[in-house]
Amino acid sequence: MADAAIDPPRREGPALRASPTEEPSWFRRSLIAVVVGLLGIALFAPLATVFAEALKNGLAAAISSLGDRDLLAAVRLTLITAAIAVPLTAIFGLAAAWAIAKFDFRGKAFLITLIDLPFSVSPVVAGLCLVLLYGANSAFGAWLIAHGVQVVFAVPAIVLATMFVTFPFVAREVIPVMQEQGRSEEEAALTLGASGWRTFLTVTLPNVRWALLYGVLLCNARAMGEFGAVAVVSGKIRGQTATMPLMIEMLYNEYLSVAAFTMAALLALLALVTLTLKSALEWRYADQLAASRRH
Amino acid sequence: MRGVAFRASSPLPGFGISFGITAAMLSAVVLLPIGALLFEGASIGPGGLWETINRPRVWAALRLSFMTSLYAALFNLVFGLAVAWTLTRYRFWGRRLIDAAVDLPFALPTAVAGIALTTLYAPNGAFGQALAPFGIQIAYTRLGIFVALVFVGLPFVVRTVQPVIEELEREVEEASATLGASRLRTFVRVILPTLSPALLTGCALAFARSVGEYGSVIFIAGNLPGVTEIAPLLIVIRLEEFDYDGAVAIAIAMLAISFAMLLAINLIQVWSRRRFG
Repeated sequence: MADAAIDPPRREGPALRASPTEEPSWFRRSLIAVVVGLLGIALFAPLATVFAEALKNGLAAAISSLGDRDLLAAVRLTLITAAIAVPLTAIFGLAAAWAIAKFDFRGKAFLITLIDLPFSVSPVVAGLCLVLLYGANSAFGAWLIAHGVQVVFAVPAIVLATMFVTFPFVAREVIPVMQEQGRSEEEAALTLGASGWRTFLTVTLPNVRWALLYGVLLCNARAMGEFGAVAVVSGKIRGQTATMPLMIEMLYNEYLSVAAFTMAALLALLALVTLTLKSALEWRYADQLAASRRH
Repeated sequence: MRGVAFRASSPLPGFGISFGITAAMLSAVVLLPIGALLFEGASIGPGGLWETINRPRVWAALRLSFMTSLYAALFNLVFGLAVAWTLTRYRFWGRRLIDAAVDLPFALPTAVAGIALTTLYAPNGAFGQALAPFGIQIAYTRLGIFVALVFVGLPFVVRTVQPVIEELEREVEEASATLGASRLRTFVRVILPTLSPALLTGCALAFARSVGEYGSVIFIAGNLPGVTEIAPLLIVIRLEEFDYDGAVAIAIAMLAISFAMLLAINLIQVWSRRRFG
């Protein structure tokens, strides 16, 4: 170690001798090569396949394959579902964060566990649960149907299934950040005469805005792409209750490869946009996002 | 309901409305539906549930989901550690791009991943053709399920381990090297024990996700009953047959597996807190 004390840090140029806390360079190079190679096979190859298969017969063929009315209905249904489910999940996340971060009450840890529950339930099981509660076989479901409210095999169940699987996304991002902020700023605002709402809108919300955006981004990606839970509750009626992922399955099983992969490419583009924005948020606002955001 | 004993007093307003919204929405979307499943299971009774589960096809599906998820999680344990180590310790061209791409399985819809993997590994696909001369078939076999679950689970291990590697103290590694340990020995005896709670947590998260995974698996699996039929698919099949009791029994078995995993994750965290502070 005497060498290290005398020599300045050798960052520039080839090191004459390997640092004692670094792997030898042959090892480093081979590990990088193996990791990049395997990630190429595991991640980049499937992604490239989506676009390659969509554009197999050219861009014009890909675009015209979407011309079907049922496919447009699927796109619209996915957008509508996300437009309902994501704001509701965001409202839930903010309400839960306000209650959990700003107040002390009994059973708080238990409530947090319950919020995380959907992460450990299979999407298919989630769908089954909704069918059992709202379907025609249950007393509640039969009562709803008698009153003209069709939940299962209709849009409400698709929204509920989407919300089930995405429920923790916003809450998980916002709660730790709001907890870190404490409550002194809100107390100051109240002392200065601001109303509760105004305090929330002008003090609390700006403090958590990047975490909120981050959560909404992830929630939206999952909401538009959810397959298992929605597949169970939707009934897969073409043009009515088939979302984009369900339509992809149907087209694929009918060997309409170009149409299936073109629709898949649309969702893959959404995933790429999500990843880009997410990375940008992480680099730009790392300090304002929760340290424990990974899950 | 929320008297003085329920919560400590606070000068901030809005506890009632925020807690009310939280409780109401959580109940309507998550708790009541799960309650309906448990209620249904209770009305079938333990004997009836066991009878429904204790059939060769159901056992095969549960075992397949459990074991393949375990293998995929173990593979991701090693692969994820290598990825996390490379991304945090080494500087190379394209590192940031690869770092961002690790989250692709989180962002890419499972059905999209499913058809893409199937196309790649099918006998006439790019990887399928390359592997055919060696007599390896991946799509429509258990290997295909493994490949899909590795894809799905990878980010869990990488993202749990990465922050811990970032916070490793170089001084400890220096001390180990000064005391004459080789780099390999330092890694095995000093670094790996520090990383092990995060590795196990990531592994358990990947496993929990894999057991319930449906969208990315069903395209590549082949779905042959008793051979490549996963448990979530069997639930869907039972539902399509209007065999609600059958679906409920398998779903409760899967819930039990995921809660056991949740418990394991919490125990790992308690253990690591006790061990590492």
